[in-house]
Amino acid sequence: MENVNLIGPQLLLMAVGGLLLICDAFAGLLGARRWMAWYVVGTPGLALLGGLGSLLWAVAHAATDTRGSAFFDTYVLDDFSLFFAVLFAGVVIAVVLFSVDYLRGNRHQAEYYALVLASAAGLMFLAGARDLIAIFVALELTSICQFILAGFLKDDRSSEAGIKYLLLGAVAAALTLYGMALLFGLSGSTSLEGIARAAAEADDQRLGFVLASVLLAAGLGFKMAIVPFQMWVPDVYQGAPTPVTGYLSVGSKAAGFAVAARVFVEGLGQGAIAPDWATMFAVLSVLSMTLGNVVALVQNDIKRLLGYSSIAQAGYFLIGLAAVAAGEPQVELGLGGLLFFAASYAFTNLGAFACVIAISQRIRSDSIADYTGMARRSPLLALALTLCLVSLTGIPPTAGFVAKLYIFNAAVQADLVWLAIAGVINSVISAYYYLRIVLNMYVGEPVSPEPVRPTPLLAVATAAAVAGLLVLGVFPFPVIDAAEAAARAFS
Amino acid sequence: MSVGLEHFLVLSALLFGVGLFMALAKRNIVGILMGIELMFNAVNLSLVAFARFLEAAERLSGQVFVVFSITVAAAEAAVALALAVAIYRRRESVDVDRINLLRW
Amino acid sequence: MLSEWGHVGFLLVLAIIFPLGGVVTSWLFSRLRLRPDRPNPVKEDTYECGIPTEGPAWVQFNFRYYIFALLFVIFDVEAVFLFPWATSLERVAVAGFIEVLTFVLVLLIGLIYAWRKRALEWL
Repeated sequence: MENVNLIGPQLLLMAVGGLLLICDAFAGLLGARRWMAWYVVGTPGLALLGGLGSLLWAVAHAATDTRGSAFFDTYVLDDFSLFFAVLFAGVVIAVVLFSVDYLRGNRHQAEYYALVLASAAGLMFLAGARDLIAIFVALELTSICQFILAGFLKDDRSSEAGIKYLLLGAVAAALTLYGMALLFGLSGSTSLEGIARAAAEADDQRLGFVLASVLLAAGLGFKMAIVPFQMWVPDVYQGAPTPVTGYLSVGSKAAGFAVAARVFVEGLGQGAIAPDWATMFAVLSVLSMTLGNVVALVQNDIKRLLGYSSIAQAGYFLIGLAAVAAGEPQVELGLGGLLFFAASYAFTNLGAFACVIAISQRIRSDSIADYTGMARRSPLLALALTLCLVSLTGIPPTAGFVAKLYIFNAAVQADLVWLAIAGVINSVISAYYYLRIVLNMYVGEPVSPEPVRPTPLLAVATAAAVAGLLVLGVFPFPVIDAAEAAARAFS
Repeated sequence: MSVGLEHFLVLSALLFGVGLFMALAKRNIVGILMGIELMFNAVNLSLVAFARFLEAAERLSGQVFVVFSITVAAAEAAVALALAVAIYRRRESVDVDRINLLRW
Repeated sequence: MLSEWGHVGFLLVLAIIFPLGGVVTSWLFSRLRLRPDRPNPVKEDTYECGIPTEGPAWVQFNFRYYIFALLFVIFDVEAVFLFPWATSLERVAVAGFIEVLTFVLVLLIGLIYAWRKRALEWL
């Protein structure tokens, strides 16, 4: 039973997902009116309750100091996985709030929410899995659900996004699996502990370990959306339903970094290979930032722009990962920076997507040109979107500023000054396209005078996200403490 | 000459390469999927080879890993075929060159 | 070691000779005009009896088959987890039994869902 309690948050999500499917299967037996009630209120309500319950359970773990490892040490509940469990539960709640109005009239809502919940459970497992088999299964649990979600609308664009995501994702999964097989062959064990033991004393097998790390980085890099595994991002972001895009950009990216941190720091952090993968991540970081930002300059579809922006943001995440390998004190700083960046990015990007959903639902367009004069059509939404974009740029008093400050500081402490400088230059480039949208919204004549109003649920989600990014920007210390405590879980 | 671990690993690497090439070069969704299946099974081969030849206490994990990887690959293929059917119903084609509403 | 493989090699040779012998003898007999040779369209057909064949074999299948195929693949492959459990039933004891029950329950949810959504009917 102790095991079950430790994986409670994810178990609850999966149970509610299964319940949704079963209830939906028998919903046809209800009368037409009750059936409508099930669709309009029942499915999103149940999904929301699942997310809230999961969040409460994770918070209860934190409050009662429940820690430990479960199922023969394949899953561990430490500060690190708990941090992500809380984060992902929050993301799930936000995604459900986004989806309610977006999916109005869709006959397959129950399946949609069941998939969202199941994939969120996979994300949580991913942050705490300590065994290659568990990591692989968790990775595929989230991935397969997200493939279906990306193709959920079944129209041309959505199904195209789904199949592209799936085909490239399956190739990435095969690469990851190959990397895992090599690690197993080199160390004779699938647990990260065993791998760490073998990696610490394997000087003659360095080449094998390097090859395995490259393959793993390729597969996980796909989830993290870093260059050169980013080609799916703009297409899938544009084609997928917008709430799913928000989910992918935050949930799946953060989980990718969580599992990369666990595999590389816990499994391969000791021994001679740590500098090798650190250098690899530093180079990939610069490539991601630069490519993402430069290509984003010429985009005119807001979802595509946010896609390239998320590639660039992945580059900033990677700075934290590259800084980790420098030695003992930097593990805390680099990983702490990574975790804080994940939290601030979650609030910021979810807020931005909430605004985009609210606006594009009304104006039926994702084109940036149609955002002209939005400040007059909806002052509050324009303000919220402005704050999110300012935070993505990294300007105070928002969360993005603190996160970038923190992570650049980690790079400098780890003797990666050039990486920090590259990050700052890239932030300046990114300011051009982020602030261009802001300028567009405040200056210029609106396309039509008709006001744009978000639905109540979206308004709540937007307000929560904006409040979160402002609080993190002004008073970040509790979250920084939590992030550093989580980073210490590995040492 | 006895067949050792190296033989299996080389065969597995070759099969993986063939699969990867198929996945990248084929223009038909079903062909790409076949390439992906080949990649998964190439890895499975090296996993069972490790499980057979390694002298570690936990070497059976390799076989357990294969069982999981087979089921995951099956689930992935099922979803891929379902999506391919959905696309075919709308466009009468499963050629990736013609699935190009979103620029690559 | 080698002698054991020798048995296999012997069987292999036999397995090749046996069918090949029939074909070659038949061909030789027709050459020597010992065997009658009167081909006609019905005889040359792919299936000599049953309904007449129609069109090429490379036709597209109705996509309804896919749904059955998908369901079959999923449930068939999941059964692979039951075999290791069955062989180690005594060692994994009650905990293992409960875990497998949970696993089957999850599969059952999928089956009930497919049944209620009419995926098991030919529509």
